[in-house]
Amino acid sequence: MRATPRSTFAAGLFAVAAATGPAAAGPAQQAILDHYAAEAKAAGAPSAFSAARGEAFFRAKHGVSAESPSCSACHTADPRNPGRTRAGKPIEPMAVSAVPTRFTDLAEVEKWFRRNCNTVLGRACTPAEKGDFVAFMASR
Amino acid sequence: MRPQPTPSPAPFAARPVPTGDPGGHDRGAATDAAINGQPARTTIAVWDPFVRIFHWMLATAVAAALTTGLLLPATWTRLHIAAGTLAAALVAARIVWGFLGPHFARFATFVGGPATVLRYTRELIGRRAGRHLGHNPLGGAMIVALLALLIAITATGTAALGGVLKAGPLAFATSYAAGSAAREIHGLLAYALLALIALHVAGVLFESRRTREDLVGAMIHGRKRGMPGAGSARSAQARPVLAAGIVAAILAGSTLVSAALSQRPAAGVPTAPLDPAYAEECGACHIPYHPSLAPAAVWTALMNGLSDHFGEDASLDPATTRAMRDYLVANAAEAYDTRAANVFRRRAADDPLRLTATPFWRRRHAEIPAAVFASPPVGGEGNCAACHADAATGRFAPAAITIPKETTS
Ligand code: HEC
Ligand code: HEC
Ligand code: HEC
Repeated sequence: MRATPRSTFAAGLFAVAAATGPAAAGPAQQAILDHYAAEAKAAGAPSAFSAARGEAFFRAKHGVSAESPSCSACHTADPRNPGRTRAGKPIEPMAVSAVPTRFTDLAEVEKWFRRNCNTVLGRACTPAEKGDFVAFMASR
Repeated sequence: MRPQPTPSPAPFAARPVPTGDPGGHDRGAATDAAINGQPARTTIAVWDPFVRIFHWMLATAVAAALTTGLLLPATWTRLHIAAGTLAAALVAARIVWGFLGPHFARFATFVGGPATVLRYTRELIGRRAGRHLGHNPLGGAMIVALLALLIAITATGTAALGGVLKAGPLAFATSYAAGSAAREIHGLLAYALLALIALHVAGVLFESRRTREDLVGAMIHGRKRGMPGAGSARSAQARPVLAAGIVAAILAGSTLVSAALSQRPAAGVPTAPLDPAYAEECGACHIPYHPSLAPAAVWTALMNGLSDHFGEDASLDPATTRAMRDYLVANAAEAYDTRAANVFRRRAADDPLRLTATPFWRRRHAEIPAAVFASPPVGGEGNCAACHADAATGRFAPAAITIPKETTS
C-alpha cells in the first residue's frame, strides 16, 4: 500500500509512542498476559512476550483469506483508530490506551482469537502469538 | 348561498324543454339560433362553489395519489396515503351533496338509467343530441363510475395498507395474503381510473367542441350559457347546513373509528424487542438481523455453519450456539406475517442464506447505486439499519426509509 499522508502521520505517532515506552498494562490485561505466559510455558514455548513481534504479526498478510488477509484489515493499521468489519460495522480501537477495557475478559478475548485467527490464518493462534498480540496492544 | 339560475329565467319560460330531460336540454340548431338572439347571451350559474372546489381538489388529490403510487418510490407512501384519504373524504362529501345540493349537483338531476344513456349515445352518433345545462347522461354515468371506482380504490388501498404494511384501521384483521391480493386489485383499479380519467377529459373536450361551450371554464367559474327551460321552478333547494352537518358527522365518525381500530395491535407483527444476548452475539460484526427476516430452515443452516460464516469464523460455544438457534427458529419468518417475513421466505437457490440475495431484496434495491451502499454512512448492502430506521423491529415500513447523505469529510 502506498503511504498516504494519514498513514505517514500514524507512523509518526507510532514513533512517538515507541519513544515514550509501552503504556502499562492494567491488572486485568496483566492477568490475561499471565494466562498466556503459563500456557506458553506449558507448551514449552518462550513466555516472554514482545510488542514488536506482536506488531509484526498484527500487520503480516497471511495469505489465507482474500477478504481478511491480516488482522489490520479490520483493526486498521493504527490500532488506536476505530476499525471496520467486512460488513461495514465500526470496531472500537484495539489499543488499550484508546479503550482501557480491551483484553480484560478472558472468555471474550479467547472467543475472538479463536474466530479471527481461524479467519485470517486458517488455524488457531499459539499462546505466544496471543501474548505478543496483547503485549503490542497494551503498549499502544 | 343559493346557486340558483340567475338572472330570472322568465325570458326562457316560453320555450318548453324537450321531453323528460331533467338536465335542461335543447336541440342543436335551435340552440344556436337562441344563442345568437339576445336572451341567450345571459349565463346561468350551473356549478355551485362546492361542486367546483370538490372537482379541482379531487383532481389534485387523485393526481398526487396516482403519481406517488405509480411513479415514485415507496418512500412516498405517506403522501400517497394522505392523498388517498383526502380523495375518499371528498368523495364522501360529494355523495352527500348529490342528495342535498342544489339542482345541478344532485344525482337525481344527472343520473339516468341505462336506457337514457343509450338513447343519448344514439342521438350523439346520429348528431341529433342536444345540449345539457348540467351533465349530459354520458357525463353523469362517468361521474357515477368515477365515484364508484374511487370508493373501490379506497377500500382496496385500506386493505392493502392493513395487510401488507400492517398499518391503518384494517391492520389488526388483515393477513398479508389478503392485503397483497387487495394491493394487486388496487393497482389494477388505478389503471382503470387512469383510463376513465382519459375518457372523462376526452368527453369534456368533445362536448366543448360539439356545443361550442368552454366546459373546463364552466367548472372554474361555474357559469354556462343560458338556455330555455332552465327554470327555477323545478330546481331542488340546496340544504347546505344539513349537508355540512352530515359530512362533518361522517368524517368525524370515520376518523374516530379509524383511529380506534388503528390502535389495535396489528396482526402478525413482532412486538418483543430483540433478545439482548442475540443482539450482542449476532450484532458484533453487522446489525443483528431480525429473526423474522428468514425462515427457520435458513437459520438452522446458518447456525450449523458458523465456523465458515460467509468466509469468516463466527463460531460460538455450543451452549450459546444452541440458545441462539432456538431463539431464531422460534421467531423465524413462519411466526410472523409482516411484509418482510413474507417476502424474505423466498430465497435465491444459489445463495439461500443471504437476505440480500433474495429476489425481493434485489428487485426493491435495484435502483440504489452501488456507490450509495459503499458510502461510509451505509457501509454495505447488509447494513439495513443505515436506511431503514425500524430494521431492528423487523417491520421495514416505507415511512421509516431514508438514504443517508454522504457527509463530505
Ligand atoms: C473480519 C474482521 C476482523 C479481522 C480480520 C480481525 N478481527 Fe479481531 N475483532 C473483530 C471484531 C468485529 C471484534 C469484536 C468487536 C469488538 O470487540 O469491538 C474483534 C475483536 C478481537 C479481539 C477481542 C478484543 C477484546 O477486547 O476482547 C481480539 C483479541 C482480536 N479481535 C484479535 C484479532 C487478531 C489476532 C486478528 C488477526 C489474526 C484479528 N483480530 C483480525 C474483527 C476482526
Ligand atoms: C442504501 C439504503 C438501503 C439499505 C442499506 C437497505 N435498504 Fe431496503 N430499501 C431502501 C429503499 C430506498 C427502499 C424503497 C425502494 C422502493 O421504492 O421500492 C427499500 C425497500 C425495502 C423493503 C420494502 C419496503 C416496502 O414495504 O416497500 C424492504 C422489506 C427492505 N427494503 C429490506 C431491506 C433489508 C432487509 C435490508 C438489509 C439487508 C435493506 N433493506 C437495506 C433502502 C435501503
Ligand atoms: C465474526 C463476524 C460475524 C459474526 C459474529 C456474525 N456474522 Fe453474520 N456475517 C458476517 C459477514 C462477514 C457476513 C457477510 C457480509 C457481506 O458479505 O457483506 C455476514 C452475513 C450474515 C447474513 C447475511 C446478510 C446479507 O447480506 O444478506 C446473515 C443473515 C447473518 N450474517 C447472520 C448472522 C447471525 C445470525 C449471527 C449470530 C449467530 C452472525 N451473523 C454473526 C460476519 C459475522
